[in-house]
Amino acid sequence: MIQAFIYVLISTVLIGMVPRAMPIFAAAIGENIDQSSGVLNLGVEGIMLMGAIIGLEVDFFTHDLILAFLAAGAIGILFSLLHAIATITFRADQVVSGTAIWFIGWGISGVIFAATFRGVSPSVKVLGSIYIPYLTRLPLVGKLIFGEDPMAYILIALLIAGQYFLYHTKQGLNLRTVGNDPRVAEIMGVNPFLYRYAAVLFGGFMAGIAGAYLTLVIVGSFYFDMTAGMGFIAVALVYFGKWNPWRVFAGSLIFGAVYIFYIYLETIITSVPYEFFDMWPYLAVLGMILVIGLRARAPTSLAMPYIKEE
Amino acid sequence: MNSSRLQIIFFIFLGLIVSSFTFTLFNLSPISGLLTLFSGGFGSFNALAQTFVMSTPLLIIGVGLALPFQAKFWNIGAQGQFILGEIFATWIGLELASSLPPLVVILVSVVFGFVGGALWAIPPTLMKLYAGANEIITTLMMNFVAVYLLTYLLAGPMEGAEAKVVHAPSSAPLPAADLLPHVGMLSVGIFLAIAIALILYVVLKRTNFGYELMLIGQSPDNARYSGVTVRRNILLSMIISGGIAGIAGMIMVFGSTQALIPQFFSDVSTSFGYVGIAVTMISSLNPLAIIIISIFFGGILNGSYIMEAIYSTPIDVVISIYGILMFFTMIGILIDFSKYFRRKKVK
Repeated sequence: MIQAFIYVLISTVLIGMVPRAMPIFAAAIGENIDQSSGVLNLGVEGIMLMGAIIGLEVDFFTHDLILAFLAAGAIGILFSLLHAIATITFRADQVVSGTAIWFIGWGISGVIFAATFRGVSPSVKVLGSIYIPYLTRLPLVGKLIFGEDPMAYILIALLIAGQYFLYHTKQGLNLRTVGNDPRVAEIMGVNPFLYRYAAVLFGGFMAGIAGAYLTLVIVGSFYFDMTAGMGFIAVALVYFGKWNPWRVFAGSLIFGAVYIFYIYLETIITSVPYEFFDMWPYLAVLGMILVIGLRARAPTSLAMPYIKEE
Repeated sequence: MNSSRLQIIFFIFLGLIVSSFTFTLFNLSPISGLLTLFSGGFGSFNALAQTFVMSTPLLIIGVGLALPFQAKFWNIGAQGQFILGEIFATWIGLELASSLPPLVVILVSVVFGFVGGALWAIPPTLMKLYAGANEIITTLMMNFVAVYLLTYLLAGPMEGAEAKVVHAPSSAPLPAADLLPHVGMLSVGIFLAIAIALILYVVLKRTNFGYELMLIGQSPDNARYSGVTVRRNILLSMIISGGIAGIAGMIMVFGSTQALIPQFFSDVSTSFGYVGIAVTMISSLNPLAIIIISIFFGGILNGSYIMEAIYSTPIDVVISIYGILMFFTMIGILIDFSKYFRRKKVK
C-alpha cells in the first residue's frame, strides 16, 4: 500500500516536473548569459508575455510552429534591444529600465490579445511529447528521459552548449571578464559594449522563446498576465544557480518537482485550504534563495554601467 | 536645472504620443484616443473626484517606496504590503466597530494598517541584510503569498455573511459611520496622502536619515566607512515603506471599497503596488514630483475605464502607457543634449 503510494508519487513528480521547469529554464539560461556579462534584465517577465502572445498569434494565423517560435524570439530581441540601449549606451539604472520593459510587455501583450482575440483565447494544438516505442514505456524514467516534448531536448542541447561556451571557450571567458571587470576586459582588447549587447539580445531571445514555449507547448492558449511571476522566478533561479547553467538547470528541476509535489498533495489532502498549496511555489523560491543562494557571489560588475574613460 | 525639467516634460509628452498608437489597434485615432483618455480622467469635477480616489494609493505607496529606493534597496513588494495593510485594518475595523467612537476606530485601523504592511516588509529585508538574498526576488514572492493569503481569508475566516449568499468573495462591510469622512466631493484620503508626501519630502531631503539613505545608495561600502549604520537604516526605511503601503491599503478599504475584496494578478485596477513602483521611478524619487505623477497616473487609469466602457479597449492599455512613459522619462533624464551641441561647436 505504502509502496504503491510512493511509486505513484515519484512517477507523478518525475513526469510532471519537466513541463513545469522547462519554460522557466529557457528564460533562465538566457538571463544567466545576460547577467554573466554584467547586465541584469528584470524585463524577462514582460518579454515572456510578449513571446507568449506573439507566438500564439503567428501559430494561429500561419500554422507554422517554427515561424511562431522565431517570431517570439524576434520580439524578445526587439524588447531587450530597448533594455540594452537604455542600460549599456545611456547607462540607465538596470532595475528601472527592466521594470519599464516589464510594464511595456505586460501592457502590450494584453492590448494585442484584446485587439485580436477580444480577450478570449483560441486554443491551438500543443506540441505534444515524442513517443519512442518500448523506451518510453520503461518504468519511472522511461517517460522522463524519452518522452518529453522536442523543445525540451533542444533546451538540453542549449544547456550543454551554454555551459561549454561560458566555461570552456575564450569568448565565454571574455564575457565573464566583462561581467566582472569591464575595464580589465577592455585592456585585454575585448569590447565590453559589444559583449554586453550580444548577451542582452540573447537573453531577450530566450525569454521570448520561453513565452512561446508556454503557449505553444504547455498551455495551448493565452490569458492576461499568464506568466504570474515566472520571469522573476527565472531571475531567482539564476541567483540560485550561482551563474552556472548546470546549477540553474538543476534549480529549475527542483522548482518543477516541488511545484508538482504540492499539486499532488493538494489533490489528496483536502483538509488544508488549497490557497496554502497555491502559495508553495513562491515560498519554495524564497526557501531556495535563502538556503542555497546564501554564499552566491555575483559577477562583480552586475547591474553597473561601464563608463569608458576618455 | 529648469531646462532639464523642461526636457523631462518633453519626453513624457513624447512617450504619450508613442503610446497613443496602441489605440489604432482598436480603430481609434491616437489623437481622439488621448482626448477621451484625458477627458475621462480630468474632464469634469466628477471625473477629478474619481481620479483622486485612484491617485491616493498610488501617491502613498509611491512616496513610501522612495525611501528604500533612495538606498538602492529595490522593494518590489509594495503590493503584498498593501494587501496586508488592508487585511489588518479591516480586521481591527470590524472588531472595534460599534463599540468605540468612529474617530478612534479609524486611528487604530491606521496603526494596524501600518503594522500589517511593516510586518510583511521585514522578513525579505532581514533575508537580504543577513543572508544576502536578492530583495527584488524575495519581496516579489511575498506579493504572491499575500494574494493567496487574502483569497484564503475571504473564502473562510473573514468571509462576510452577504458574500456567502451572493457567492462574490468579500468581507463583511464596514459600518458607514467608520468610513473616512468626505470634504465636499473628496474623501479625506487624498489630503492624508498629500500630508504623508510632504512629511516624507522633509524626511528625505532635510534629515540625517534621508541623507544617509542617499549615501548608502551611492555606495554601501563608502557609507559604512563614513560611519553610517547600513543595516539599521535600510531596515528602518523598509519598515516605513511597508507600513506606509499598509496605510494605503487601510485608506483603500475605509475610503473606497468599504470591505475587503479579493485581488487578482491580472487586474490592473488593484495592482496599485506595482504601478506605485512606476510612479516613484518616473519621479526620480522626489516626493513632490510623486504627487504630480500619481495624480497624472490615476487620471489615465480612470480615463481608461471610461474608454473601456465606450470603445471596449482593455485596461491593459494603461499599463503599456505607464511602461512607455517610464522608458521615455528614464532616457529623457539621462540624455545630455548640451554635450552634443558643444561638440558640434568645437568641430
